Amino acid sequence: MANLRSLLSFLLLALVGAVQAISANGGNRLLVILEDIADKDGYTKFLGDLEGRGFDIVYETPKSESLSLFHLGERSYDHVLLFPTKAKGLGPNLTPSVILQFINADGNILLALSGSTPVPSSLVSALLELDIHLPADRQGLVVDHFNYDTTSASEKHDVLLLPTPGPLRPDYKDFFALSGSDESGVIAFPNGLGQTLGQGALLSPILRAPSTSYSYNPKDESEAIEDLFATGSQLSLVSALQARNSARVTVVGSADMLSDKWFDASVKKVGEKSSVKTLNREFAKAVAGWTFGEIGVLRVNWIEHHLNEAGQSNASNPKIYRIKNDVTYSISLSEYSWDKYIPFTVPENDELQLEFSMLSPFHRLKLNPIISSEDSTTYSVSFKLPDQHGIFNFLVNYKRPFFNNVFEKNTVSVRHFAHDEWPRSFVISGAWPWIAGIAATVTGWLGFCALWLYSAPPATGESKKKQ
Amino acid sequence: MAVDQGAGSKLPGLLVSLGKNESTKTLLKVIILAIIAAAAVASRLFSVIRFESIIHEFDPWFNFRATKYLVANGFYQFWDWFDDRTWHPLGRVTGGTLYPGLMVTSGVIYHLLRFLTVPVDIRNICVLLAPAFSGLTAYAAYLLTNEMTTSSSAGLLAAAFMGITPGYISRSVAGSYDNEAIAIFLLVFTFYLWIKALKLGSMLWGALCALFYGYMVASWGGYAFITCLVPLHAFVLICMGRFSMRLYVAYTTWYALGTLASMQIPFVGFLPVRTSEHMPALGIFGFLQLVAFLEYVRSAVPSRQFQTFLYVGLGGIFGVGLLGLVGLTAGGYIAPWSGRFYSLWDTGYAKIHIPIIASVSEHQPTAWPAFFFDLNLLIWLFPAGVYMCFQRLEDEHVFIIVYALFGSYFAGVMVRLMLTLTPVVCVAAAIAASQLLDTYLQYKSPEVVESKEEESTDGTAKKASKQGSLRSASQPVVGIYNVLSKAFIAGAMTLFLLIFVQHCTWVTSNAYSSPSVVLASRMPDGSQHIIDDYREAYQWLRQNTKEDAKIMSWWDYGYQIGGMADRPTLVDNNTWNNTHIATVGKAMSSREEVAYPIMRQHEVDYVLVVFGGLLGYSGDDINKFLWMVRIAEGIWPDEVKERDFFTPRGEYKVDADASETMKNSLMYKMSYHNYATLFPPGQAQDRVRGARLPDQSPVLNSLEEAYTSENWIIRIYKVKDLDNVGRDHAAAASFERGHKKKKAIKKRGPRVLRAE
Repeated sequence: MANLRSLLSFLLLALVGAVQAISANGGNRLLVILEDIADKDGYTKFLGDLEGRGFDIVYETPKSESLSLFHLGERSYDHVLLFPTKAKGLGPNLTPSVILQFINADGNILLALSGSTPVPSSLVSALLELDIHLPADRQGLVVDHFNYDTTSASEKHDVLLLPTPGPLRPDYKDFFALSGSDESGVIAFPNGLGQTLGQGALLSPILRAPSTSYSYNPKDESEAIEDLFATGSQLSLVSALQARNSARVTVVGSADMLSDKWFDASVKKVGEKSSVKTLNREFAKAVAGWTFGEIGVLRVNWIEHHLNEAGQSNASNPKIYRIKNDVTYSISLSEYSWDKYIPFTVPENDELQLEFSMLSPFHRLKLNPIISSEDSTTYSVSFKLPDQHGIFNFLVNYKRPFFNNVFEKNTVSVRHFAHDEWPRSFVISGAWPWIAGIAATVTGWLGFCALWLYSAPPATGESKKKQ
Repeated sequence: MAVDQGAGSKLPGLLVSLGKNESTKTLLKVIILAIIAAAAVASRLFSVIRFESIIHEFDPWFNFRATKYLVANGFYQFWDWFDDRTWHPLGRVTGGTLYPGLMVTSGVIYHLLRFLTVPVDIRNICVLLAPAFSGLTAYAAYLLTNEMTTSSSAGLLAAAFMGITPGYISRSVAGSYDNEAIAIFLLVFTFYLWIKALKLGSMLWGALCALFYGYMVASWGGYAFITCLVPLHAFVLICMGRFSMRLYVAYTTWYALGTLASMQIPFVGFLPVRTSEHMPALGIFGFLQLVAFLEYVRSAVPSRQFQTFLYVGLGGIFGVGLLGLVGLTAGGYIAPWSGRFYSLWDTGYAKIHIPIIASVSEHQPTAWPAFFFDLNLLIWLFPAGVYMCFQRLEDEHVFIIVYALFGSYFAGVMVRLMLTLTPVVCVAAAIAASQLLDTYLQYKSPEVVESKEEESTDGTAKKASKQGSLRSASQPVVGIYNVLSKAFIAGAMTLFLLIFVQHCTWVTSNAYSSPSVVLASRMPDGSQHIIDDYREAYQWLRQNTKEDAKIMSWWDYGYQIGGMADRPTLVDNNTWNNTHIATVGKAMSSREEVAYPIMRQHEVDYVLVVFGGLLGYSGDDINKFLWMVRIAEGIWPDEVKERDFFTPRGEYKVDADASETMKNSLMYKMSYHNYATLFPPGQAQDRVRGARLPDQSPVLNSLEEAYTSENWIIRIYKVKDLDNVGRDHAAAASFERGHKKKKAIKKRGPRVLRAE
C-alpha cells in the first residue's frame, strides 16, 4: 500500500518535473531591467547563456509604463535581473515594498550593481530591509593594491582578481566551485561595489573580498579617507539571501563582471608574467543558475511513517501512535541540477536529521540513506517512541546556505496505553503470590462455609423455642 | 407552576385529616410526589423557554463534548480516549481523568430511547438531564426524611423544598449539564441507603449503599464528602457509646464494597488507599474492627482484666496506627492533604499558595446574604429542625446533626459547597415545618385526659427508651386548644410557604437561568435584546480557521472553544496542569517579544481575548488579568511581577496612567488594539472600568487582528509567521506602515561587521 502510494506520487511528481524543465521552484519568465534596452548588447553572452538554458526573457526599462511585477495580484515574472541604472529613483513600479512583495511571492531577484553608478535609493532601502548594507551616498568602489589586474587597471587598481571561492564551511556543498576550470583560473571583479552583511542566518556571502581590499567613495575628493565603509573580508562582493520561503536574492557587486568584455578577457596578476583567462562566464552561470533556482533546489518527494511492529496494522501515515511503539520514518529527497532531478546526497560531514518533538525534541536522529533511485534518495530511520503521550511532530528541519529550506512537520498524536494493552496479571511473575493469596482466600472461605453448614447444631427443642 | 407548588406544600397539612385510609394515603402520596417532581422539572425550564435548548456556561460544554464522543465511539473508546484537541501539545488522557458517571448516564438514556425507537438528539438529553434528575432528588429527599420522622408530611415537605430550593436549582437548571446534575441525587440517595442500612443492620442495604456510592464516585469529585461524613457519623455513634452490630455490619459492608467500587474508576484508582482524604474511612473501618473485638473480649473476660486490656490494647493500637500513618505520609506512600483541602480550613490559604484555585469565583468564601438568597425560609427552619433531631436523637438523627454541622461549615467556606448543604437544610426544615403543621393543623383539640395519659405513658416509656434521647430533650406533651391560634399559625405558615415559592421562582428566573453563553439585555423600550458574541466568534473560528488551528485563550474559555468552535486549545477548565496555565498567563502578561517565542513554541495560530469595555461587560479578561499575572508569577517570579502592573500609587489602571508593564503586556494591547478609533478623538472610554483611554491605540507587531465580534466582546488575533526575509516583527511591521528603516546607527567604538 505504502509502496504503491509512494510510487504513484513519485510518478506524478516526475511528470510535473518534466513539464517545468527549466527551473525547479519557478518558471522561466525572466524580466531584465536595464537603463536602456540597447545596453543589453554589452551582456549578449550572459543573456545568451540564459536564453540557451531556456529562460524566456523580457526587457524593460525602469521608466517603462508597462513595467509591472504583478498582474492582478499574481506575479507576472518568476525572476528579475536588474542591471545598474543611473536614475536616483526607480519609479512607482519598483518601490522597496513591491520588491519585498515580489520576494514574499517566491520571486527570485538577481541584482547587479556597479562601482561607477550610484545605486537607486529604492534598492538601497530594499536591501537594507534584507540587512544588506551599501556604502553611504549609495556609491563606493572596491580596490585592492595587491590583487589587481595589471593589464587593465594598473593605475586605478579597481579590477580585482580573485580565486574561485571555496565552500563557506567544510560541511556545506560548494555550488560555486567552477567545473572545468584549472586551478590557476581567476574571477575578475572590475569596478565593483562591496556590501556588508548583517548577522542574519538567511544571508551568506558567495564571494568575499580579499583581506587587502577596501572600499572608498570615488566621488570623495579628499586625500585621506577618514571613515572607511569596510575593509578586507568584511566586504562581500557577491552576496546571497535565501528567504524563508526559499525565494532567492543575489547581489552582484559588479555588473561589469557579467559583461561580454570580461567573460573571456585575459588578465595578469601582480607579479606574474603570463596572463590567464577569466572564469567569469562559469561563475556568472553558477550565480545566475543558483539565483533562478536551477541548482541547490531540494524537493521532498514523499514522507512516510508507519508502525513497525509485528502483528499490528502497519498502515502508512497513521494519525495516532501509542507510547513506546516502534516506528519507521522515511523521507525521499531529490536535488535539482540544471535540467533534471538527481538523488540528493547529504554533503560529507553533514547529517540529515529527524526530530521527534513536542515543545522540545525527544529524539534527534540521523536519517540514513536506504534506497537511491536515479532521481531520488530515500532516507529513513527506525526508533522507539518516547514514554510520553502528547501531540508530537516528526520534524525534518534541514536549512543550509544555498540549499533551499527543507522544513517538514508531520503531526501525530501519541496516546497512552489503552486499558486492555497492559500485560495480564497472570503473565507477570511478580503477581503470582497475590493471585495465590486470592485463590487461598476464596478456597478458605468456601471451605469455611461448607464446614459451618455441615456442623450446624442438631435441631433441639430449645432452638425451636427461640424461633 | 407557582400554583402547583403552593398546592404541593399545603396538601400534606390537609392530608392528615383527609387520608384516613392507607391506600388513599398512598395514592395521594404518589400523586403529590409526581406533582412535586413536575414542579421541580418545570421550574428549571426558564432558560430553555427564554433562550433555547443550549448547554450553559463552561464545564457543561466539556461534558457535552465528552458525551458526544461516548455516543459516537462507544464505551471502550471513551474509556481509552486520548484527547489531542486540548492542552496542546500535551494532550489529555481524558478517559482516565474524568468522572464518567454523567456521560455514561446520558449515553444509557440515549441508547435506551433509541432502542425504544424514540429519535432524540443527544443535546436535548444533556440539556434536560439535570431537571429530570432533580425530580428524582426530590423523591430521594422524601425517602431520607421519612427515615427521620414518623410524620409523613415531613417527607413530602422535604421533597417539595428539595425540588424548588434555589440552592439546588443553581446547579441543575436545564442546560446546566454538570456533574452536580446527577451527583446531588446520588448524594441524597446514598445517605438514605446508609441510614436504611444502619437502621436495619442489613448487609443488603449496605451493599446497595456501596453500589450508589460507587455511582457517586463515578459522577463527582464531591464523593469525598460521603467518604468523610459516613465515617464521621460512625465515629460519633461509637463515641456516644452506641456501637452496635447494626453499625458494624452496615459500615463494614459499605466500606469494603464501596472502596472496591470506587477504585474501578480510573481517575480515582488507588486514591482511596493513598490519600489523606480517604484515611478517615479506612481508620474508622479499622477502629470498628477493634471495637467489635473489644466487645467480644468484654463478654469473655472479667471486667477488671478487661479494663487493663482495654487501656493497653487500645492505646497501643492507636499509637501504632497514628505512627504508621505519619510514617507512610512522610515516606510518600500516602499523599498529604491537598491544597484544595487546606483551603477549606484557611480561606486565605489558596490566595497565597494556589492562585489557580482562588481565581475561581465559586471557590470564594460565601457572603452571608447568599444563605438567605439560596435557601430563604429554610435557613431559619433549619436550626429548628436540627433541634428536633436532638429531641429524638436516634442514630439517624445523629447523622442529620453531624451532616448539618459540617455542611454548614463548608458552605460558609466555599460558595459552591452550598450545594452539599442544601439537602440537609431541606430535610431539617421539613422536619421542623411538619412538626409545626402537625401540631397546629389538628382539627380536634387534644383531650385533657389523653394528654395526661400520654404524660404518664411517657413517664414509663422514658425508662424504656432512655438511651434513645437526652433527658433534657424529652418532650412534654402540649396541645393547642385555641382555634384562633391554630388558624393564625397555620395561616402564617402557609403565607411563608407561599412567599418561599414566590422567592424560589424569582431567584430561578432571574439569577440562575442565564446560559452565560448568550447574554440578555433590555432595550430602552423594555424588549429583550440578545447579545450573542460568544457564539458568533466561535462560529467564526469554526468556519474560517484550519481544523487544527491552535487557539490560545485564558483557560475559562477552553471548554467552550473545544465544544463550540471545535478547535484545539492550549488550556481549559480542567485545570490539571498549573504550569501550562502559567505559561499562557506569562504569554498574556509579557511583552510581545517575550510572548511571541512562547506562542511559537506552542504552535499557537490564534489568540482569543474577551473584552467588555465597549459594552460594559465586567467578566472580561482585563478584569481577570491580575489572576493571570499571579499564576504566572507563581512559576516565574523573576519575569512576571504583580507589582509592575500597578501604578506607583498602587492602583490598577488601564488609562494613560497605566504602568509601562501593563501597557506593553500582550493582553492590554490585544484588548485595546484599535479601540480608540471607535470614538471621536479624546473620547475613547472603557465602560467597565470607567477609564478614559489615550487616543493612540497600542501597536501590535507580532499579531494581527483577525476578527472582532459585533459588540467587541470577543477579539481574535492571528499570530504572524516569522518574517520572510529575517527581520524582527517590529521592523517588518514598521516597514509595512511605510516607515523607512534608519541606517545602522553609528555607535561609539569599533563596529563589528560580519567577516566569516
